[in-house]
Amino acid sequence: MAKIKKKMICPECQVDMNHHCDKVVYTTDQPQAGAVDPSFGGVIEEFHACPNCGAGASRNA
Amino acid sequence: MTIAEKQIDSLPKIGPSMETVRTLFIPVILGTTRMGRMSLHAGRLVTEELGKRNGVETELIDIAKLPMPTNDAGEAIKHADFSSKVSKADALVIVSPEYNHGYSGLLKHVLDSCLKEYIHKAVGIVGVSAGPFGGARVIQNLLPVMRELGLVTIFWDVNFSSVQKAFSTEGVLLDESYIRRIDKFLKELIWMAKTLRYGREQISLD
Repeated sequence: MAKIKKKMICPECQVDMNHHCDKVVYTTDQPQAGAVDPSFGGVIEEFHACPNCGAGASRNA
Repeated sequence: MTIAEKQIDSLPKIGPSMETVRTLFIPVILGTTRMGRMSLHAGRLVTEELGKRNGVETELIDIAKLPMPTNDAGEAIKHADFSSKVSKADALVIVSPEYNHGYSGLLKHVLDSCLKEYIHKAVGIVGVSAGPFGGARVIQNLLPVMRELGLVTIFWDVNFSSVQKAFSTEGVLLDESYIRRIDKFLKELIWMAKTLRYGREQISLD
């Protein structure tokens, strides 16, 4: 069963944001230890949007 | 209730907030810095046409006015104002001339300075060329770049062919048929912008 992470909170409105996308980000920078997903060869980043104000935010998956 | 009616009834309802509370922001990116660029006229025209739409806010972002360093690249040189505008945007229009069948290196340099700002937003491309193909080849070359940036391309383009005949040297439009073409392009772009805004904000990946 997939692990459910805590919802991101909009920094402007303090409401739960909507997780709408995951994207593999490839980088030559030294990523945080364990951040690279070996199945994809890059860092998976989650993208979230606020249903109230539309603000976007992201974090490592 | 029939099965089809039940399926329609179960679809998410789009509330008034999407249509009325927040306007769409759709900036136009002028993708060339070359002196004497005719794409400026195309960029201004598309911006003017966008500005006539109810519920749409727009502005022309001229990459020649972005002080981007060239001794580094990518998100390391993110320009705060450009990043902020793309973050706020619901869709983008990219106006690109075709130089040797490709886009300008500086357009790519600017686009590469952001990433998360683009995700699940609509983009429409306006191609400009002095020859007869209206930037068709530059549009094709931009499509895979748009896709990797996380943008969603629409299937309408605007192609300014023989641009030196489409505008006077002062930038006055000489061929009114472009207005109808831009109208079709913008209608599709705005529909996609609204749809993707709804998706970003309301439809969960989980």
